[in-house]
Amino acid sequence: MTVRQPSGRMPTRRELLRNGLGLAALAGMSPLLGACGSDDDGASADGTVTITMWHGQENQGKDTLDKIVAAFNAKNPKIKVNASSGGVLADSMLQKITTALASGKYPDIAYIFGPDIANVARSPKVANLQPFITQPDVNWDDYYPAARDAVTVDGKVRGFPALIDNLCVAYNKKIFAAAGVPEPTGDWTWDEYVATAKRLTDPAKGTFGTGWPAAGDEDCVWRIYPLIWDLGGSIVDGSGKKIGFDNDSGLKALQVVHQLGADKSVYADTKPGSDQMYQVFTSGKMAMIPTGPWELPVFIEAKSDYGVVPLPTFSGKRVTIAGPDTWTVFDNGKAKVKAAVEFLKFLTSGDQDVQWATEAGSLPLRKSTANLAEWKQHVDTTVGLKPFSDALAYAKTRPTIRKYPQISEPLGQAIVKMLLGQGTPEGALSELAKNANAALATP
Amino acid sequence: MKTQFRVAVVNREPVRDPARSLRRRRYGEASTAWSYVLPSVAIILGLGIVPMVWSLVLSLQSSDLITPAQWVGLKNYETLSHDPNFRAAVGHTLIYTALFVPLSIAGGLGLALLLNRKVRLIGLYRTLVFVPFVVSATAQGVLFSFIFDSHFGLANAVLHWFDIPAQGFFADKSQALYLLVLIALWSGVGFCVVVYLAGLQDIPAELVEAASIDGAGRGATFRFVVWPALRPMTVFLLIWETLQSLQVFDMVFVTTRGGPLESTTVVVFFVWQQAFEVFNAGYAAAGAYVLAFGLLVLSIGIRLIRRGDERKVSRR
Repeated sequence: MTVRQPSGRMPTRRELLRNGLGLAALAGMSPLLGACGSDDDGASADGTVTITMWHGQENQGKDTLDKIVAAFNAKNPKIKVNASSGGVLADSMLQKITTALASGKYPDIAYIFGPDIANVARSPKVANLQPFITQPDVNWDDYYPAARDAVTVDGKVRGFPALIDNLCVAYNKKIFAAAGVPEPTGDWTWDEYVATAKRLTDPAKGTFGTGWPAAGDEDCVWRIYPLIWDLGGSIVDGSGKKIGFDNDSGLKALQVVHQLGADKSVYADTKPGSDQMYQVFTSGKMAMIPTGPWELPVFIEAKSDYGVVPLPTFSGKRVTIAGPDTWTVFDNGKAKVKAAVEFLKFLTSGDQDVQWATEAGSLPLRKSTANLAEWKQHVDTTVGLKPFSDALAYAKTRPTIRKYPQISEPLGQAIVKMLLGQGTPEGALSELAKNANAALATP
Repeated sequence: MKTQFRVAVVNREPVRDPARSLRRRRYGEASTAWSYVLPSVAIILGLGIVPMVWSLVLSLQSSDLITPAQWVGLKNYETLSHDPNFRAAVGHTLIYTALFVPLSIAGGLGLALLLNRKVRLIGLYRTLVFVPFVVSATAQGVLFSFIFDSHFGLANAVLHWFDIPAQGFFADKSQALYLLVLIALWSGVGFCVVVYLAGLQDIPAELVEAASIDGAGRGATFRFVVWPALRPMTVFLLIWETLQSLQVFDMVFVTTRGGPLESTTVVVFFVWQQAFEVFNAGYAAAGAYVLAFGLLVLSIGIRLIRRGDERKVSRR
């Protein structure tokens, strides 16, 4: 017999649990349900536009960006920039952005490495900034050519230059002095470089002539392009269907690496990230290291007695590689793209450009910035920065092509083989050409 | 979901018709039960089944996650079947598993036997053996890549002490994979020790006593009393460690990234590389499915063996 209970009764334990659990389940699912139906066209009701930026920076880089973002937000009440690392460092941004694009929720601006932008730009969600760069206040041609090329894919501008660097050689003055070897002047050849490295290697003291990353990644690969370009080769040939260094240029470049490996004068860093290689240099166990300006603050902090000279050459003609990174812009509605461009214009204009370059240890993106008194003073007070700053004028950049990873991967393996003393340059080149050309030939 | 709750509320009303009441009560019971399991159902569906189905679909497409995918049927699987890189990755994974599983189980058993006695500070020793298991694979990878650095590592300094020439370690493609096994053992053994210790302490003392009264020596006691009693733990460890080592990834990622010269590319690393480095997400999903299929076959096989076992036991 069931008896109607008074309405003010306590719920039974079972009922309480049942209803409570149901509520909990609903509450647990509501964010999932809510995520499905967002439909903003960019601007909110009161006309302010909020844009999200994933910058992938930490420490000094993050601090500087935070300052610039705060200044921009204060000046522009109609635009609010939300800047965060995006939960990853720049190294992992490609994976992060790929999954973000696949899931349909992506930021408005992200820090994408130069070699990756061509693949990211295949997505229809990447904005086309071509209409914006002709605006007079953008002053597009003021950016260094390498920086402009790096954000242009198939003739369309997909972002703004974010950072530019290039390779020069840092050397340890103490090691040169102790061995009685004259310091390099910058007018030197790769043969001299190899010979110097061999001479300054001392297994008894654990001193290496030079270093080269040997994890087979992009940091291992990009260091060989200046040699290839100097010898008249190119990364991809004119047809775009073949690599442009399956000839003497590639062979001679690999021979240089092979010789370093055979002489055991190179510290081959097989760990991802190349950190140890630079530690070997800063701890005074390496004579010379090709590096970018980003390591100078580290050298200064470690109180290394170092100097910097341009890369050696074969021909006497100056050549180096610039590895520009990009602020790629994604399309979350017209208002947001416009706001993103406004912010990036601010970020890369003179005052902010010089702030970013000096504080974060990079170089100016704009030619006009390099002429600012503030930058010139920074160059004068930072040991070894001048060769990097000068190299901006002649540095070349990698082509922004989608198949680039399929060239980089086998080339990385070939370089590692040379560094670890496995196989001949001829064999490594023919195998790498076979693999890379096969990848390039497929559409 | 909402309707179910409404029904649940209706159930509160007094009911007179006994048949209806039964039906309602059953219905109500079921809805109550569903509300209990709903959170886990949502989690299993959302985080387990949906991604599995999605990656199955993905494995039948040519997709890069960025541009619209194209349906290619079984072509990814066909390409996989004669991809030398995938074959190498499978080979490395099998070598790793074939070494890691028996060594970790044997090592775990040995250490557990040593630690299963009453000596001073035994709690400390047991904790120390287990500590490496708690260290994350990433931290281990970083730690050991410094120890095994070919030029500045501690390992070569120790070898030098014994007049053994410096080794390449992670810079030597014939050593890197075995080194990974060694590092995995450093931490993996601790887990086996704990499982075996629990098993050893479950063995009734009377059994061991009876065996010794019957004149069994140490060897015989182990063979006829301890080892059979540990059988369930051994089977569990065999399955668990095999599944774990077939899916090894994190340590490879932090120490070698598949190098040097692709000598440590394991299957999951291959999948990662295909999906995120060269943008063949469909192809990567196919690789992942081949691994999943292998794991499935393995689990079914072991289940069958165990069922046969149980029958044997019940027949006795």
